[in-house]
Amino acid sequence: MADSTPTALVQGTLHMLILKTLALEPMHGYGIGVRLQQISRNAFQVNAGSLFPALRRLERDGLIAGDWQTTENNRRAKYYSLTSQGRATLKREAKDWAKQTAAIALVMSASLEEL
Amino acid sequence: MVFLRRLIGGLTALLRRRRQDQDLDEELQGFLDAAIDDKLRAGMTHDEALRAARMELGSVAAVKDHVRDAGWENVIETSWQDLRYAARTLRRSPGFTAAAVLSLALGIGANTAIFSVINTLILRPLPVDRPEQLVEVLSRYPGEPRLSSFSWRHYEHYRDHNQSFLDLVAVLRTRVQIAVTGVDPEIVDGEYVASNFFSALGVRAAIGRVFDARDDQRDAPAIASAVISWSYWTTRLHANPAIVGTTLVINRTPVTIIGVAPREFFGLQVGMTPSLWLPASIEPVIQQPSRLNAMGVGILGRLREGVTIDAAAAEMRVLDRFRIEDLARSRSEAFARDFSIELEPAAAGFAALRDRLDTWLTTLMGIVGVLLLIACINIAGLLLARASARQHEMALRVSLGAGRVRLVRQVLTESLLLSTLGAVLGIGLATAGAQMLVRTMVSGRDFQRVAPRIDIPVQLDLQVLLFTAGVAVAAALIFGTAPAWQALRSAPATSLRAYGAAGNTRSRRVLGNSFVVGQVALSVALLSAAGLFVQHLSNVRNQDLGFERDSLLLVTLDPANSGYAREQLFAPYQRLLERLAQIPSVRAATISGVTPISGAGASRFIKVEGFDEAAEARRFVPLNWIGPGYFETFGTPLLAGRDFTFADKGVAPVAIVNQAMARHYFGESNPIGGRLQLVGQSNSGNTGAPADQVYTIVGVVGDARYLSLHDAPPRTVYLHAFQEPRMGANQFALKTTGPPAAIAADVRRIVREELATIPIARMSTMDDLVDGWVVSERLLATLSSGFGGLGAVLAALGLYGLLSYTVTRRTNEIGIRVALGATPSRILRMILGNAAVLLTVGVLIGLPLVPLTRRAASQVIAGLPDTSITAVIVAAITMLAVASIAACVPARRAARVDPVDALRQE
Repeated sequence: MADSTPTALVQGTLHMLILKTLALEPMHGYGIGVRLQQISRNAFQVNAGSLFPALRRLERDGLIAGDWQTTENNRRAKYYSLTSQGRATLKREAKDWAKQTAAIALVMSASLEEL
Repeated sequence: MVFLRRLIGGLTALLRRRRQDQDLDEELQGFLDAAIDDKLRAGMTHDEALRAARMELGSVAAVKDHVRDAGWENVIETSWQDLRYAARTLRRSPGFTAAAVLSLALGIGANTAIFSVINTLILRPLPVDRPEQLVEVLSRYPGEPRLSSFSWRHYEHYRDHNQSFLDLVAVLRTRVQIAVTGVDPEIVDGEYVASNFFSALGVRAAIGRVFDARDDQRDAPAIASAVISWSYWTTRLHANPAIVGTTLVINRTPVTIIGVAPREFFGLQVGMTPSLWLPASIEPVIQQPSRLNAMGVGILGRLREGVTIDAAAAEMRVLDRFRIEDLARSRSEAFARDFSIELEPAAAGFAALRDRLDTWLTTLMGIVGVLLLIACINIAGLLLARASARQHEMALRVSLGAGRVRLVRQVLTESLLLSTLGAVLGIGLATAGAQMLVRTMVSGRDFQRVAPRIDIPVQLDLQVLLFTAGVAVAAALIFGTAPAWQALRSAPATSLRAYGAAGNTRSRRVLGNSFVVGQVALSVALLSAAGLFVQHLSNVRNQDLGFERDSLLLVTLDPANSGYAREQLFAPYQRLLERLAQIPSVRAATISGVTPISGAGASRFIKVEGFDEAAEARRFVPLNWIGPGYFETFGTPLLAGRDFTFADKGVAPVAIVNQAMARHYFGESNPIGGRLQLVGQSNSGNTGAPADQVYTIVGVVGDARYLSLHDAPPRTVYLHAFQEPRMGANQFALKTTGPPAAIAADVRRIVREELATIPIARMSTMDDLVDGWVVSERLLATLSSGFGGLGAVLAALGLYGLLSYTVTRRTNEIGIRVALGATPSRILRMILGNAAVLLTVGVLIGLPLVPLTRRAASQVIAGLPDTSITAVIVAAITMLAVASIAACVPARRAARVDPVDALRQE
């Protein structure tokens, strides 16, 4: 299940990114992929082989809920939205992520003089 | 919470598979449509947009697969697919499947059977409170197996003075005659126990109560009480719920039943369920003479919290001085000094049976382990050959996108399915086999000395089933590894390309060959071990016993409750002997206290006049009270002097000694006329002769084995049964001209006519008695031969499989050879040569295993013969013969290959 995107996603972050995307507004599978690509300015291209298994897992864990609706083009599509639990998870993960990136940034920018 | 949701989600997914699939299809279609719309909006033509969108989505099937893989339920589903697929594959080759399952069933079944006996006898804890705290107190005397050489007063001393044990319980086994209204009087096994017996073990009565302090009053036998076993209650007393309070008559003493032991409680020795327990306080009333102070009280204790077994043993060694001083007083100092005491964990009860059986069981476990290993290698070989044939299938599956892991799982599933089938069949075989094994093992004399009736209830409990499951999985891993490894390495391109006549890697050929070599080597080791055991059996059976074993009928009378005092038996026994001697086919008749091989009689230290012997050089000398004609009847040669006669009655006491005795005490000088005395307390328990009785030696006879077949004949003294104050002999022996069993009816009639109130306790032939001693040896010889043969057949099957496969693979090449002028006999030689190389290498590797096997076996079985060349040669020839037959079939097929057909196959 290797992802071959221009920039490989950091391991384990896809779930968080999907949750964040859905926190903005409910979205169907294709839309989530496009939205991710837009926001990341083409850095992340998530292929269907990664996206759909991730959606399936999130749905199973009760973090998102799927609902069949009609699209703007008059087609049926499964729209995913965050559940309250998903919202809580996203909040927690975002906080963790911020902490981690800050820490990583500190380490990566370290130089001898500062120590 | 998340876990629960996942579980429920997974289960829903399994149940709503179709619905979910439809959803996913629709969703993916939606993805595609949306992508196309996007591309169209970006200005692509419809065709371009379609192609680009498809590329973006990738293989729909692959995406769906990935989505399915996201859930755990997928593992179940694919496993189920694998299982169905494996079942289909196995069904398609019934020959292979039958061979594999059958050899696994034999291998796993044999392992399960032996293990279930080990489990019952050695591993399973007693059904009592906290069995892990129990330890047995055992006595050791140099050169003898450890025994319960304690008397009741020794037990009481330990019990009253120790600090290590919460409780110490004691058991004295007995056989009593029991009479209940409505049931014929019968002799049953019973146990005298201290009144704390049940409470210390934490065993409560199923009905009524168990013993307590009330039952311990020695002076009030009027309230004699008994606890009966569940099995006696149900089989003899019809599970009568009102049984408590009723009266049994035991050896003519009325005893009140106070309770029934729980169903699962069988006492402290697996295999010997007594019918009843009696308080030791009433033993002197019931048993006359009392045996409380004979040496045979089993002692078991519950260690106090925090006391180690070593600490307890140290204390017991101090307390044991009491026993040693006691024995020094009653027997002799030299004798007593050599006793020591030891403790043994006893969660599974008394060690007696365990000590006698565990060596045999260990050996058998080793043998069946090797057998299973051979079976596994055999199946691995068969699977490997099949894997080659299925290479194309594997290659195809890989090309169609099957993951390697999935292929390996598939192969392992097949292996597991095979071994599960084998295990299920094997458990069936094991149930029957274990019962047969146990019944045969305990039918030997060795065990009849321990107890008259042993019935080991082998059960397939959870432990056994777990063991079997473990063995099955291990077996599957052993024989499934090679094919799984092959599957792991199947790369689509090479596999597909390689699928052809030459499609065979070198490593696979080497692997196949080494499987056959390994099987042959192990089989040779197994067969030669079998040869060793067979030789051992024949050595033990055919050794010089010192008497003739054939045409001898032994009849034991039991005058205990007949109304005859032992002082009154002389005349009736003499008359009986005369009548028995008149039966036409009886050549000689005699009477004795013990017969050869029937086990220990009395033994004493001996003092020979004029021979100064250091106390520590003394040996126990077995005594045998015999009547006239004994040596003639048993065919033991009279070397000097004379035999006893009825005319000796009333004159000075006489004795006959055996050669070992004569040589030790008299050397080269003439023992006739020598005088000897028995040392220690008077033998009141035997014949009531005064302690200082002097016996004059009148004869010397050849040595004969008394105690067992396995030890050298000891110094032996024969005394005249008809000269002592009381009759000390109840065993009649008849030497016949025809088969001894033929006169059994005559003997019964004459005994009834002469001594109506004395029952015949036992009637058997000497042959049966001797055979009874070698049951374990015979069992081991038979089983190891059977298993060895089986191993050889399996190895031959393996060779057959490999050669058949080789021939099939090389059909093309053989066809070319024939076309180029090779004769059929040359082809035959080529294939057989191939087989011969494998066999030779196998045998050569197997040969060094033979002495190793012997060394391992001799660790547990004493007196094994040295590795004999004969056994090894027989093993090698057997293996070669069986394998050659197996090799001929494919070789002949190769010789008949038609070049035209063969070449057309390509």
